[in-house]
Amino acid sequence: MSRSSSRIPATSQELIDRGKPVHFEFQGRRIEAYEGDTVSSALSAFRVDIHSRSFKYHRPRGLLCVAGRCPNCLMTVDGVPNVRTCTAPVRENMQVITQNAWPSTEHDALSIFDRLDRLMPVGFYYKALHKPKFLWELARPIIRRIAGLGSVDIASDGGPASYHSNAHTDVAVIGGGPAGMSAALSAAEAGADVTLIDDQALPGGHLLTEIREHADLSAMSGHEIAADLRDKVNAHPQISVMSNSSVFGLYQGNLLAIQTGRDALNLRAKHVVMATGTFEVPHQFQNNDLPGIMLTSGALRLARLWGIAPGKTVVVSTKDDSGYWAALNLADAGIAVSAVLDDRLEPENSLVELVRSAKIEAFAGQTVLSARGAKRVKSITVASPNGEKRNIACDLVCMSGEWQAASGLLLQSHEAEVNHDGTVKDLRAAGVSVAGSIAGAHSLSIIFASGRLAGNQAAIASGFKVAKEDSADTTFSVTSHQTAEATTTALKKSFVCFCEDVSTKDIAIAVTEGFGDVQTLKRYTTSTMGPCQGKMCHKAFVEVAALNLGLNVQAVGATTSRPPAQPVPLGTLAGPNHMPRKRSPLHHVHDLLGAEIVELGPWLRPHNYGSPQNEALAVRNRVGLIDVSTLGKLDVRGPDAGALLDRVYTHRFSNLRKGHIRYGLLCSETGSIMDDGTVTRMDDDRYFVSTTTGNVDAIEDWFNWWLAGTGLDVSVTNVTAAWGAINVAGPRARETLAKLTDVDLSPDAFDYMRTAQGDVAGVPSIFLRIGFVGETGWELHFPAEYAEHLWNAVMEAGSEYGISPFGLEAQRILRLEKGHIIVNQDTDAVTDPLSAGMRWAVRFDKPDFIGRAGLAATRGRDRDQALVGFVTDDGFVPEDGLCIVTNGEPVGRITSSRLSPTRGVGFGLAWVPHGMARDGTRIAIQSGRNEWPATVITEPLYDPEGLRLRT
Amino acid sequence: MAFLLNCPNCGARNVYDFRFGGEVLTRPEPEADNDVLTEYLYFRENADGEQREWWNHTMGCRKWFVATRNTHTNEVLSTQWPDDPIAESDW
Repeated sequence: MSRSSSRIPATSQELIDRGKPVHFEFQGRRIEAYEGDTVSSALSAFRVDIHSRSFKYHRPRGLLCVAGRCPNCLMTVDGVPNVRTCTAPVRENMQVITQNAWPSTEHDALSIFDRLDRLMPVGFYYKALHKPKFLWELARPIIRRIAGLGSVDIASDGGPASYHSNAHTDVAVIGGGPAGMSAALSAAEAGADVTLIDDQALPGGHLLTEIREHADLSAMSGHEIAADLRDKVNAHPQISVMSNSSVFGLYQGNLLAIQTGRDALNLRAKHVVMATGTFEVPHQFQNNDLPGIMLTSGALRLARLWGIAPGKTVVVSTKDDSGYWAALNLADAGIAVSAVLDDRLEPENSLVELVRSAKIEAFAGQTVLSARGAKRVKSITVASPNGEKRNIACDLVCMSGEWQAASGLLLQSHEAEVNHDGTVKDLRAAGVSVAGSIAGAHSLSIIFASGRLAGNQAAIASGFKVAKEDSADTTFSVTSHQTAEATTTALKKSFVCFCEDVSTKDIAIAVTEGFGDVQTLKRYTTSTMGPCQGKMCHKAFVEVAALNLGLNVQAVGATTSRPPAQPVPLGTLAGPNHMPRKRSPLHHVHDLLGAEIVELGPWLRPHNYGSPQNEALAVRNRVGLIDVSTLGKLDVRGPDAGALLDRVYTHRFSNLRKGHIRYGLLCSETGSIMDDGTVTRMDDDRYFVSTTTGNVDAIEDWFNWWLAGTGLDVSVTNVTAAWGAINVAGPRARETLAKLTDVDLSPDAFDYMRTAQGDVAGVPSIFLRIGFVGETGWELHFPAEYAEHLWNAVMEAGSEYGISPFGLEAQRILRLEKGHIIVNQDTDAVTDPLSAGMRWAVRFDKPDFIGRAGLAATRGRDRDQALVGFVTDDGFVPEDGLCIVTNGEPVGRITSSRLSPTRGVGFGLAWVPHGMARDGTRIAIQSGRNEWPATVITEPLYDPEGLRLRT
Repeated sequence: MAFLLNCPNCGARNVYDFRFGGEVLTRPEPEADNDVLTEYLYFRENADGEQREWWNHTMGCRKWFVATRNTHTNEVLSTQWPDDPIAESDW
């Protein structure tokens, strides 16, 4: 870029380090900035005037607030849209592009809409595009494309995840200005832990740019006072400072939602001090949005914090004393200020003398009527008290003295009330104190007093004592800003709402159309509803509405404040994936074996080790080994353990003999299947319960819920992570394990559905002889620490028999051949055991169990559907979930389907109408447009008598 | 919803650390008639005001307890173990 820099000589309070250049790309052009610059300050240094194009009319917009509040500097940074570039620090090689303009913000063809405003009055599409109906459908995509903000790159992965954290503090102080810092110090001095949250790079608030001395306080200038306070705050061990962080929500119990960088913090405070201050807001005149028309605080920030001359010929338009001080400040920075135009008829004489002595003209009773200029302001038209109008040439207009309380967050408190006179209700009972200019304190000494008072109140409210002379009951007088009567007439290009391009005329039209209530007026005009959320416009909106309605502002009221007070990226709200990843103690082994890992609930499990079919055949023909550590395991102990299990399971367990295992089915109160597993009686008062993978937490809660308040003497301990488990199954399983243990595994000594305890390869283990996969096999449970040793020992022992590890998929095939269900795969939320063909697992002779009443009520009735097996013709393997059809109408559905490795046929489980649940019934499966024939089977495909698993 | 809940075992914690277990109900006798069962299984008071309800401290001690909460304001009036005698003032 060939433009010369607008940097002014370095000053002591600037945030940039001129010795450390940083380079980034703006619209493909390389820009040199300094460390400490923001994107906007760097662009301003290169005299980029137009930072964005407006939402509706595509009008050029330049920097306005330079504090992260207004919508004027939104750009796309490194693919992230709508970044407030005035607070975004520069980083080496960052990519910055402008938004909502074609071909560029500098030359935007769409600015034609600025001339077509007649066609697009407020609410135009409600009026013009509602009939005929198709018109809106036609217009909508076009309107959405040309009006708006940046666009989200949907191909992007969103970059690194945002993190959420939680914290507690005694006192949270929101706002790092003089009031906030003094509140933080006095609360901390009383002993409270304080968190100070400030949305700027450096605490100090408006003092950061102030150079005048405050003789009543010290001989120091404003920014020196800020630095002094900042040092004290930073040095205090009980204050932690969060800069560049914005509080966007104030929730019940003083829970603060804070965005800090990409991350979110939920901070719980015993007491909150609101020291959010006031914003300067724009004045109303024709073309008040031209680049070069800025809030005075913004111009001062550019000059003082980043060493930039925001203009060459400057006019300050003010409604109070602050404009005079600002003019002197700019002049001191070497920027030529030609005049101070005071809206008031009788300004403070001493100030007028002061600016005149600095060779700045000062005029009273001046009203800015309009501004002119194409891409930047060139001149303004001003009316004098005698009605005379004149033009003043300038390239920067600073708007001073129109203040709006930063109350967006405060008003989220349900206790808060809006008072347009600047007073604030006492909210101490709700856990909130206010300090500084939001509380109506404007002179620095009173700001400090109110900060100390609020800090003391906060300390007392969070349980600390304050010294007597620092009593929290001190009162101080509050000076309210004089608010000039709004006199604005309806002007087409006098913008109230910069975000949504709503002018004073739009509000006047809406009022004449009958929108007399501030809430409906807001929704119809969309004023205050843009990215700034009313920060730049709420006051003007209410005042202009009041003027048009013929009411005073108090009667008009205010719009409702809701979170977020500041826009927050959705990614930050969503946060990281909080699903915990659980790994089996054998995870490392599976990785070494090259397993394909899948997520199953919170667990990572091996899906296969190469070929599920071969793994399944290894189990059928030789011996296989699977990691089942992820099974839920509960240790249920106590004299009443049997009574608890009888209560929650459909089966009976109090009569289960020691050393025996029984299948267990859990139902909800309505009788739907919730979970299944095995229950093993280890001892008289001890049961070992397994649940399905991923369900153990819910089952633990379920057991404890039915225990709560019953007085039963039982303890339920979740031992899922403490115990590893493997299942060794297949015709050679016995020979494999026999090499590693003294436990007698012979068929006569160790029957099916029995348990024993003993060492395996030196590891103390529980043997459960069960058969989910339908072969002779033992599930071994052992301390998780020994899992890898035991796995390796079994693999070695089985090597001579051709042992193979098998994964989840092989297990699913094997169990399907046996017709064993998987809860939630073959059942759903309304499946009961009777319709699933598991009548054998339900003991109606028990007087009560959870779900008995629901099952008993429907016991005698035929179910509409039944779960059956099926075998397809022609080797067709349907996908899980396909429909069973009769005459093209769906009548049932497939829940599981696989290719049988032993029979080479497609088969599975399906829900079919009751009448079809007979062996040999022909059914049709719909896949795409084809129907595939299949035959119902009511017995397992493999080993229907169950001989193999009993051998 | 961001209130604190006082776990009888662990003390005051963020409500997000707990799992809600619904209204405290009285389970009917197993042989109760269908109307009573239907009422128990499918109908809830859904009180606008004070309600006795189950909570589980899932992110803490994992114990179930009973809270009396105003569903309108979220003010928690008391928390107790389910077998604690209920104070007169809680009714």
